[in-house]
Amino acid sequence: MENYTVKDLMVPISEYATVSEDATLYDAVMALEKAQEEFDHNKYRHRAVLILNHKKHVIGKLSQLDVLRAIEPRDAKIDEIDDITRFGFSEPFVNAMREKYRLTGPLIKNALDTAMKIKVIDCMQAPSEGEYVGETASLDTAIHQLVMGTHLSLLVTRKNEIVGILRMSDVFAAVFHAMKQSEKKE
Amino acid sequence: MKELEKLYDRIIQRVNINLRELEFDVKPFVWTLIPPEQMSKFYAFYGISPDHPLSLQFRHCGLAGSYFLGRCSLTNSLLYKSDIRGDELKKKGDIFHFKNFKISVSKDEEIEIEDSALIKTLVHNYSHDPETPEKFFIKDTVSTHYANIHGSPSEGCFLGPFATIDLTTMHDCVIGSFSYVQAGEINHLKIKPGTIWVRNPGQFNFLYRHPVEKLHQYIYFTPGNQPQGLLIDFMEDRKEAFQRIFDLVHVDHGVEVPKSASLDRYAVTKPTTTISENVLVAQRAFIQNSFLGRGANAQENCFIINSHLEGYDITAHGAKIIEADMGRNVFVGFNSFLRGRPNCRLTIGKESIVMPHTIIDSRKPLSIPAGHIVWGMIQDQNDLEANSLPINTFSKIENRFSKGDLYFEGSGQAFVSAFQNRIQHILEANGALFDGSKNMGHAQKNQNISFNTIQPYPKGDLKGLYPTIVIQP
Repeated sequence: MENYTVKDLMVPISEYATVSEDATLYDAVMALEKAQEEFDHNKYRHRAVLILNHKKHVIGKLSQLDVLRAIEPRDAKIDEIDDITRFGFSEPFVNAMREKYRLTGPLIKNALDTAMKIKVIDCMQAPSEGEYVGETASLDTAIHQLVMGTHLSLLVTRKNEIVGILRMSDVFAAVFHAMKQSEKKE
Repeated sequence: MKELEKLYDRIIQRVNINLRELEFDVKPFVWTLIPPEQMSKFYAFYGISPDHPLSLQFRHCGLAGSYFLGRCSLTNSLLYKSDIRGDELKKKGDIFHFKNFKISVSKDEEIEIEDSALIKTLVHNYSHDPETPEKFFIKDTVSTHYANIHGSPSEGCFLGPFATIDLTTMHDCVIGSFSYVQAGEINHLKIKPGTIWVRNPGQFNFLYRHPVEKLHQYIYFTPGNQPQGLLIDFMEDRKEAFQRIFDLVHVDHGVEVPKSASLDRYAVTKPTTTISENVLVAQRAFIQNSFLGRGANAQENCFIINSHLEGYDITAHGAKIIEADMGRNVFVGFNSFLRGRPNCRLTIGKESIVMPHTIIDSRKPLSIPAGHIVWGMIQDQNDLEANSLPINTFSKIENRFSKGDLYFEGSGQAFVSAFQNRIQHILEANGALFDGSKNMGHAQKNQNISFNTIQPYPKGDLKGLYPTIVIQP
């Protein structure tokens, strides 16, 4: 495992699902589906879409969680319920309040049409400083970054350019493989 | 720039440094709230009495129109028409109970105000911070009109108009207009206007937020402007009556005061007012054409107009009662605004609890039955039904409860007991239960206070500031 570098495990950006910053949430979901169809399902199971600006530079990432967050109906009452977490109410209490309101409030299925027209730029996550890793970095370094930042993936750089994406699932597979090899030796 | 403005600028900068994480700039809100001319216009005054330890120290301060009692130390601060009332501070040898700790107090407690600006603010009670039992500190803090800092050490904070922080240590917080917070300890929080939050971790958590649009009719505060709204208009309309009291050397209130009661020299009374035994009327209280039954009290900035208080009623700091009939033992919390009308009075039944910062403002007769707890914004019968419960019902809440804009988690019994215990403590502290020899409180002790005045520099670079003054027995 110590011989692996990030480059060995990353998915090249050319093979990853991408959309432009003008795209809608619907465009992003379609791009993700297309990417799934075009590649070997066992090898690459895409779970996010990269957002590119007009210069084709990566400016953000749209995860499955971001999509789910975007289709959740929002109104002032839901915002108010979310806000009460700041005041020391327990998670079960807040969930109970959400559930109570859900019975009378807007439903997800009614919010889908509206949500799919949202621009990806409004619901994507811009990468933070700790989400970049050099392509020649060791796997140990990448694991540390994934653990410390609780990231699901890292953007792989070559000089100033993003050349790929390193997913936690691929890193885990490599670690798992190394464990098995080690067990066989013993 | 004159020294007073330099000092104000420096105080604001210190508060802003503390609030940088919340990205809150105090200056646009408060820069015009203390007109330099006003700071040299009004004298400051202090009380001396045999019942309260005396130690006052003022260094590099402006104190216009402010009042001091007890042990207070002020440095690099500006106070405008504020009351620093140190008559409930802990004394050497007292035992301060905090959870399972019994903390012995090693010296007389002192209110220490440093690098702060307090505008028409009340500071009262004692430090509830177990880490500083002998020091009730207010540091790098700006508070605005009719705010209450009650038993709450504060560092790096901003309080909007009519905000109350009660029995809570706070660091680097913004408390919005008309918000009430009693939560033990809070850090780095920005509380929106009209938030009523009472929390005892592990016991209960009560949260109500006033509807913003309706609240703006009563109080509205934006950068660059003076606070506006019905509550400010209400205070402004009665300002002249207080001016007369402050200008007179000898005041004859023209009302009979029983020996066991206390009517402060700086209170306003208007005909026809009755003050019964064991009544306490504090400074800056305003009583007009009202009956105050045995053991009732009106604390600082309270207004009781055309109303009848049966007895043992508590009107906490800043509460207003207009055209109302209150049964016995009714508690009206901080800054509440209760207004009936001449032909549609407000009635509140005995032993009811009106939560702090409640607004009841009805144009139709409204009656709150005995033994109820009420909260929030109530403008008609529907609001009353949404924002009240019988106390017995509230006591039965065991886990969680929500109604309208109220969220409650925890034990209703613990919440109600906490309030009832506190009500009992207030009655005791105020002397409502005095029997002629035992249970003396403020109503009896405050009769023995005499007042002295101090003046600022009238001209020059130090205009509006006071020289260093140390007053000790």
